[in-house]
Amino acid sequence: MKVLLQFFSSLKLTVVLLGLSMVLIFFGTLDQVHYGIWHTQKLYFESLFVLWDYPDQAPLHDLLFWLYIPMPGGYLLGGLLLINLLAAHSTRFKLNWKKGGIFLVHFGLILLLVSEFLTDFLSVESQMPVDEGGRNNYSRAFRSNELVFIDRSHAEHDSVHAVPASWLKPGKEVNVPNTPLRIRTLAYYPNAEVGRATGDTPIQTMATRGAAVRMGIIATPQAETYAEGDINTATSFVEVYGPEGSLGIWLVSNVIDERFPPQMIESGDQAWEIALRFTRHYYPFEIELIDFTHDKYPGTEIPFNFSSEVMVYHQDSTKNQKALIYMNHPLRYEGLTFFQASFANQDRTSIFQVVRNPGWLLPYISVLLMGVGMCLQFGMHFMKFLNKRS
Amino acid sequence: MKKLVYSSIILLVAVIFWGALRSSRTNSVFDLDSFSELPVQVGGRIKPLDSVARNTLLILSGRQKVVTREGVTLRPIEWFLDLTMRPEVADAYPVFKIEFPDDLGLSGLAQKGQRYYSYNDLLPYSKELHRLNSEINTDPQKRSPYERQIAEINKGLMRYHRTMHSLHPGGGPDRLNRLADEYQSYLATVQSGMAELRKQQSGQDYDKALLKRFITFADDYLKLSQSALLRVVPPPAPVDPMEDWKNIGLELLDVMKGDPLSPYVTSYASLTMAYRSEDASSFNQTTQELHQRFVADFPSDIRRVHYERDFNALQPFYVSMQLYVLTFLIVCISWLRWPKELSRAAFWVLLLAFAIHTYGLLSRMYIQDRPPVTNLYSSAVFVGWGAVLLGTFIEKFFKNGIGAAMASIVGFCSLIVAHHLAMSGDTLEMMRAVLDSNFWLATHVIIITFGYSAMFLAGALAIFFVLVGVFGRRLNKKTARSLSAMVYGITAFGVLFSLVGTILGGIWADQSWGRFWGWDPKENGALMIVVMGAIYLHARWGGLCKERGLMSLAICGNIITAWSWFGTNLLSVGLHSYGFTDSGFLWLMAFCLSQLIFIGIALLDWRFWRSEFGKSNA
Repeated sequence: MKVLLQFFSSLKLTVVLLGLSMVLIFFGTLDQVHYGIWHTQKLYFESLFVLWDYPDQAPLHDLLFWLYIPMPGGYLLGGLLLINLLAAHSTRFKLNWKKGGIFLVHFGLILLLVSEFLTDFLSVESQMPVDEGGRNNYSRAFRSNELVFIDRSHAEHDSVHAVPASWLKPGKEVNVPNTPLRIRTLAYYPNAEVGRATGDTPIQTMATRGAAVRMGIIATPQAETYAEGDINTATSFVEVYGPEGSLGIWLVSNVIDERFPPQMIESGDQAWEIALRFTRHYYPFEIELIDFTHDKYPGTEIPFNFSSEVMVYHQDSTKNQKALIYMNHPLRYEGLTFFQASFANQDRTSIFQVVRNPGWLLPYISVLLMGVGMCLQFGMHFMKFLNKRS
Repeated sequence: MKKLVYSSIILLVAVIFWGALRSSRTNSVFDLDSFSELPVQVGGRIKPLDSVARNTLLILSGRQKVVTREGVTLRPIEWFLDLTMRPEVADAYPVFKIEFPDDLGLSGLAQKGQRYYSYNDLLPYSKELHRLNSEINTDPQKRSPYERQIAEINKGLMRYHRTMHSLHPGGGPDRLNRLADEYQSYLATVQSGMAELRKQQSGQDYDKALLKRFITFADDYLKLSQSALLRVVPPPAPVDPMEDWKNIGLELLDVMKGDPLSPYVTSYASLTMAYRSEDASSFNQTTQELHQRFVADFPSDIRRVHYERDFNALQPFYVSMQLYVLTFLIVCISWLRWPKELSRAAFWVLLLAFAIHTYGLLSRMYIQDRPPVTNLYSSAVFVGWGAVLLGTFIEKFFKNGIGAAMASIVGFCSLIVAHHLAMSGDTLEMMRAVLDSNFWLATHVIIITFGYSAMFLAGALAIFFVLVGVFGRRLNKKTARSLSAMVYGITAFGVLFSLVGTILGGIWADQSWGRFWGWDPKENGALMIVVMGAIYLHARWGGLCKERGLMSLAICGNIITAWSWFGTNLLSVGLHSYGFTDSGFLWLMAFCLSQLIFIGIALLDWRFWRSEFGKSNA
């Protein structure tokens, strides 16, 4: 036990871990060229182990194609550093004023590591487009999907019954919540090319109902893309069962969206629209875009300002609020943060990035601690140095 | 002896200043100073024609002067005058820099030992060049060096052409000599021409000859409005600073809408005619008129434009570069002879160089109305500045010349880097919206860049330690200890600044993108510097490394910092090709290799260390 504690609290371990972190960060930066930031982040920093292989485009690939470098991932290194730090403080460090700076830095670092873990697990990002003069009460994820059954029979509201796309495993059966329906997934493609069949050969499709049959649509599985700004066309074949048995097999895909006539399912006297779409987050408030401005420097196409004037209408009207969202000035509202992310539609639609991150304040606290700690530590060293010289 | 040493150093400094002043003087009968101060709107701000002339030359030739085939050196504004007003003369000036003319496969073009070619040289090959340009890879990132060269020449020709037609319509000497008449007859034709056009459109009888003359004008000015590069015509007073200026063609076209023709257009026509007929007095008078009009319309901008021209002429970074070299030489000599006098002199020359460097930095801030670091170029200028600032402090404390020598080296190198980064043209460009925050630019960016300065200075000191320890004889324990203290202090500084800078960056990212940390290349680079610093500090505090181990780590810091500064940018430039063929990448590799060699030398067995310090460890 004592040996173990000694090992985990040693400074040598710290230096080794820091060195490995640097290697990890370096390769985790290089591989962004292939995988984009998001996927690289999953591979390198939100993992226990990662294997780097020599990139195809790099020079000398013919000679070095066999080169693989295994390394510990971000969670492993972060976790070990955390243990190392805690162990060191429980054994080697004694709390006194001279070490106050170091304590603050280390404590800030612990908090930062924890907040990074929290952010990975808890934060949710999505996007909300709003047209000028229009309103919106939901935002859309751009990487996760859901299978929805929409009941439009009520005059005042629609009811949406959703199944996350992650549950759509081939062969698996799922009951659709609050409906008499049950689904069985026949195939699920994270990315696919979906389009009309060309040529005269009769199409091969699993679908027996819906748009696929009506319009001759086929789906060809594709490799997932991780490039910045690219979208994966999630596609699935699902068989739907009512109380009376199988109702048919539908092709659903997130490209078969509002532009197409809805695919309907009928069972008894009830009817649902079925669709696979980007996961939506609904809010108890609506955002109205009053005006979007996009200014450029005179005589150029270089933008110098994007801003959206919005009005937030909450179900509880005491929470209504007017706001101007622009670069570096997000709107923080109801635990969410709205950022000016993009625009479309000849400057008539503004797109907000919507982030829910319960731990957003932690990094601020931790970095404050670290900054103060560092200034204290080096300040004391510097004073000592000056005293010695004079 | 003392006096002789000091006076010879003063003489050297004077020579440097005289050289800088001489290159900004001219003895032309034309009032070039006033002409070079005439305003133009480029890249979202108003600047003097002088800046346009310089930047255009930088892009075409990679230098701010033209040397004619006869050996005459022209200042940028002189070249610009010829280009726009006597194109038939300018076409013979060798301004297109072609690095590898033999590789183009254009037989007869390449002349031995000649890297600069004139428009006239290229003219016979223009069709072929155009054809070659249509065949190269459309993705600029995936082009081979050969394809890049083709693209560059074509782009250069286009820029040359468009700049040439910025002040008046193109055409032969006959047309340029009678510009005023042309505008006069255009103005006389506009109303009647429009009337005839309307008649034609509504099917009535119309004057064919008149309409034809009018349409010839209109077609010509339409083409001009598309090709003229510079926006030299300000809107009529009162002026909204956010309003677009027009190029000459657009201004001429807008007369059809009933707008009066701007006096700027006619003045440039008079200037052209005066210059062509070598009528200096009317050239100077018109220039003064233009200048006065600008002063009246833009009272708040004239000072900045004037200042920018002066700044261009003085070339402060060029002067401080030379002074840094001088500092380094003086320090080196001081280690052999007259140590006291020379190290004092070196310190003062360093301070002078630093003051001029600072003047340049502040001038850029004033012209741009921004904090000092806004792009890669200005970061290079600032890295050097920061390193010299830290170096002067070290020199003040230790007074052994080492701080001054290393500061001057880092200052010089970073200005060289900046000089090469300036080849893409205007270095005072506008900031994209997301970066448009003076607060964050003034805090996060400055602090991070200052962190780079510290890391590089620490690295330079470490290299000095290694070289003197291995190859020199004079490094003793005491010097080793004080060098170690310097490197430690500077590294601690670097870590502090990198950490605080990175943190501020995180906060900025949280404010603008909704995440504190996103693992993007630039962020990772900054984090790597912090981790490198942490390794150094832990290794030192824990006693895991002795002096030379720590020095190796500090040199390693150079690699990490260079990667963070440039490497990450190269990644995003060549998203799919890694930019391996980029010259920037090759330089980075060369730099890293050199640092690895230094580390290798540092780790040589103690037997090979010639210094007292090395022997005592052996």
